[in-house]
Amino acid sequence: MKRYFSYLVALVALCVVSQGPMATAQEAVSESELIAVLVSADSAKADKAITCKRLAVFGSAEAVPALAALLTDAELTSWARIALEAIPGPEASAALREAAAQTQGRTLVGIVNSIGVRQDTEAMPLLAKWLKSEDSDVAEAAAVALGRIGNLESAKILSDAFTEGTDAQRQVMSQGCVIAAETLLAKGENSTAIAMYGVVRNANVPATRKVEAVRGEILARGVDGLPLLFEQLQSPDRAMMNIGLAVARELPGTEVTKSLMAELEKMEPARRALLIFALADRGDAAALPALAAAVTDADPTVRVAAIEAMATIGDASCIAALLTATTDSEENVALAAKQTLTAMTDASVNAELVKRLQEAKGNTEMRRSLIELVGMRRIEASVPELRTAVLDAASDATIRQAALTALGETVQLDDVTVLIEQVASPKYAEDAEIAQKALLTAAVRMPDLNACAAKLSAAMRGKSNDIQRNMLNILAAMGGSGALDTVGRVAQEGDRELQDLATQLLGNWMTVDAAPILWNIAKAPKHEFRIRALRGYLRIARQFIMTPEERLAICQNAMTIIERDAERKLVLEVAGRHPDLEMLKLVVSIGQSTPALKADVTATALAIAQKLDGSDEVLALLAKIGQKTVKIEILKAVYGAGDKTKDVTGMVQKCVHGFPLITLPKSTYNVAFGGDPASGVVKKLTIDYRMDGKTGQATFAENAAIVLPMPQ
Amino acid sequence: MRLQTNSQRRRFLTHSMGLGAAMALPQLVPGIALGKDGTVAPSERIIMGGIGIGSRGGYDLSCFLPQPDVRFVAVADVKANRRRDVKATIDQLNGNTECATYIDFRELLERSDIDAVLIATGPNWHATAATYAARAGKDVYCEKPCTKNISQSLLLAEVMQRSGRIFQAGTQRRNLPHFAFACELARTGRLGKLRTVYAHPAGMSANMSGWVAAEAQPPREEVDWDMYLGPAAWRPYNSGLMNAFNFEKGGGLTGGGVLEWGSHCVDLCQWAAGADKTAPVEYLPPENGRLVATYASGVKLVIREDGWLPLGSCPVRFEGDAGWVEAGDSGKMVLSSPELLAGRKVAEIGGYPATFHVRDFLDCVKSRRQPKCSAVTACYAHIACHAANIAIFLNRPLKFDPQKHEFLDDAQANRLRSEALREPWRIA
Repeated sequence: MKRYFSYLVALVALCVVSQGPMATAQEAVSESELIAVLVSADSAKADKAITCKRLAVFGSAEAVPALAALLTDAELTSWARIALEAIPGPEASAALREAAAQTQGRTLVGIVNSIGVRQDTEAMPLLAKWLKSEDSDVAEAAAVALGRIGNLESAKILSDAFTEGTDAQRQVMSQGCVIAAETLLAKGENSTAIAMYGVVRNANVPATRKVEAVRGEILARGVDGLPLLFEQLQSPDRAMMNIGLAVARELPGTEVTKSLMAELEKMEPARRALLIFALADRGDAAALPALAAAVTDADPTVRVAAIEAMATIGDASCIAALLTATTDSEENVALAAKQTLTAMTDASVNAELVKRLQEAKGNTEMRRSLIELVGMRRIEASVPELRTAVLDAASDATIRQAALTALGETVQLDDVTVLIEQVASPKYAEDAEIAQKALLTAAVRMPDLNACAAKLSAAMRGKSNDIQRNMLNILAAMGGSGALDTVGRVAQEGDRELQDLATQLLGNWMTVDAAPILWNIAKAPKHEFRIRALRGYLRIARQFIMTPEERLAICQNAMTIIERDAERKLVLEVAGRHPDLEMLKLVVSIGQSTPALKADVTATALAIAQKLDGSDEVLALLAKIGQKTVKIEILKAVYGAGDKTKDVTGMVQKCVHGFPLITLPKSTYNVAFGGDPASGVVKKLTIDYRMDGKTGQATFAENAAIVLPMPQ
Repeated sequence: MRLQTNSQRRRFLTHSMGLGAAMALPQLVPGIALGKDGTVAPSERIIMGGIGIGSRGGYDLSCFLPQPDVRFVAVADVKANRRRDVKATIDQLNGNTECATYIDFRELLERSDIDAVLIATGPNWHATAATYAARAGKDVYCEKPCTKNISQSLLLAEVMQRSGRIFQAGTQRRNLPHFAFACELARTGRLGKLRTVYAHPAGMSANMSGWVAAEAQPPREEVDWDMYLGPAAWRPYNSGLMNAFNFEKGGGLTGGGVLEWGSHCVDLCQWAAGADKTAPVEYLPPENGRLVATYASGVKLVIREDGWLPLGSCPVRFEGDAGWVEAGDSGKMVLSSPELLAGRKVAEIGGYPATFHVRDFLDCVKSRRQPKCSAVTACYAHIACHAANIAIFLNRPLKFDPQKHEFLDDAQANRLRSEALREPWRIA
């Protein structure tokens, strides 16, 4: 028998720490076996507890008697209720009712809570009795349970007790009444709900219960609850005002929106602003006339609120008021108007703005504002107007430059030549920098990057180095094969100045197709920037996704021309980041041929070996650089700072693989050790260990490489 | 519906400066109300208390304390050393010794001068403490994961709505520009028809806490073990459990797995998918390290640990017919095409600071608007995580009805939606 229980406990314990075996455990252990754990005098409480949790999922009425027996055990009652709350059927409900008669105090409160969760209607007589309990915790639990049952009978029990009770009893019962009313309201029993809410809000109960009752009563009354809502919106009590604002968002219907709009006019500015936000959150466009009026309110707080509300529900009808507000003497109001004009999502807004731009030729200030707006909103239909503004000799410089910026946001491939010309042959010197930024903005967002690159490449031919440099920078920002071809050509054929820039751009290229070009430059013995190209070539192997074979080939190619240890270290870095057996061979070969890099080679090789299988081949390779396996025992590992530390011994032990270097499964200590024990403070990791029989201690700064030194 | 930007909120609140003094009701009007010296009139401050301020809570506190319109006056914690440390920090800032300390957070909640609370206990307590706070009339900033199961998620949202309280889940990535922008791209159709959203769970195995060996229990004044256990089923004192990172995370049965980072990453996926008020309807158990769930819209939610670009922790990826975006905690994002930026300059803020999220909460306490991760939003993000965890636990496909909040034709999965709380605690 003992052996049987040991097996079962081991199985259950396994389930506690891992979900994986649970399905197996579910099949292996029957309900009768789980019940046997509960009823056995030999079972430890810990095992009974975990068994309760399993029965919560897999148990049936068969398990109820064994679970019920635990309800009176102060330590196990909560575990038993986990199962009894979950097991369906009348048996579990009956068990809870029966056990309640034998308990009191906290244990009884727990059982009553479970009765409430199960919404056990047969318990209503008992709950009615407990409503009058001298133990206020029991009475409150009973009231909440009746509230959760939420039928007309439970509501009557609560209402009667509430009416007949003392003030103290009413305070205890009020939460249950609110929940009962809410449950009834959800079932469509509005009149009963209204009555219950009304009784609570007019009683001497905690203010927070009154708040809840007021909300419920307004919602239950619907439109008829508006006077009560308005009363709250004007209340000198902040809590009531706040619940009024909450209900103003919840109560549905355009009629409600219009009533709230009318109420706005009666409110002082601060409350008006808050109600405007509530109107916006209702999402009802019927509120727009009130918002339009509020945009010209004498109080700037109200103006800002109305303008920001328009960002949520505004449409083209708001534009005139918003454009006027962009020139408001209050800086915050003007800024709000600009942001709302940018943010409004209604489909009618763009067409209205373009129309106004076409009509604004005589008003420089308005025209510039509209140009900025169509640019920020990226309205393609505005491109003809913007192009005219750029090319028109009569255009004011500020209009021209605003139009260039807006074109950067709006122009498509067919019209991008307008911007290319302003960069390649600036008509006005003061526009050159703005045109360059606009072209960059436009070029990087072109769906057909290669077609755009072809236009830029054609435009830069024969131009000054300054112009070509600008174009190269734009091409590099764009990326794509067309841009790469042009930058690569310049890197190999351009003059020294352009080669310098082009090789820098290639060295930071964001796709692997730059590798062949960089390799060609790197192996050209007379190219002034061949070392830069070689480093860029290795960067691609280090940072980008490719097959192991492709990565190894880059490293092996590089090794055939590398002359300096600095680049050999880059190869080691590639190998360390992408460890496999072939990379280990490469690292070992570097170690054998370059003694000066022994320390770097050793660290890299050990790190790679940690990730491999510890095969004879791996051990043989390590032996070639003088490394052998050691026996390491982690005695204790503590991570943290000051008195905020955590024991990470187990986690470090799992990372030991026979070498002094310990590699954690995650890149930072905090993540690897399951959390930050001392947030905002630099931490350290201290390890007590035994290496080949000698004990030692080592401390590592947060996130440092963990290499255990051989103890002296 | 377009959400209000942080800068918009800030401007409104800043613009209200000085109005508070003219009001009959102190603090009724939202307003930072900075004086010329940058100080805030006492009547304009949000008075706060901290509940369970340990490592993460200490970080949150460091985001709250510099806000000029906040004043912490109390801390509740079951550990004496934490009460002492947090009080010292607050007292030093306030220039007095008046920060009150409590073992039982209910005493803190009884104080009528406290407007809002920061809850950063462990996940075992989050939902229970948050609902007690709401019932006491306090607004709540609550660390994640906020709930232990599906039932708690629903009750949390229900209680916040019933009481009219402002609730912000501590999923601060919702208020970081690059994550928000990535979600906006997906939500507004800039990626074309959205097909798949990806979330990193930081583990798909269980982290269940059990009943381990008893140790000598310290005196209550030092550690109140009963209050530490709170709604979790009873077990003897053990210092390992006391300090466990994952104690009762996600409930004691299905574990924290998907919930750990899922409460961040799945939350962002929900936002991206326009699913803040729903959850996936189908969940497949993990296969080759990928758990696939499907929304009613057909959008797939893929929870996976591998295959991410090196953009830092908590990455998300959204793929549509016309493009994709991936973002992580480095503050950076990668786009399928720079055209998606549409000229926008998206700030790169790495290291997932909570400052913006905290500010969002405080602004909403004043304006009574909903913060970025309200109780309803958090509810459904957590439901998605819990349902995924249940699919992992039962190791079988599940169908879920997000309106009725129940699994279809799977009684065992439905039993895992809730778990009894230890007496005397309840969420209602």
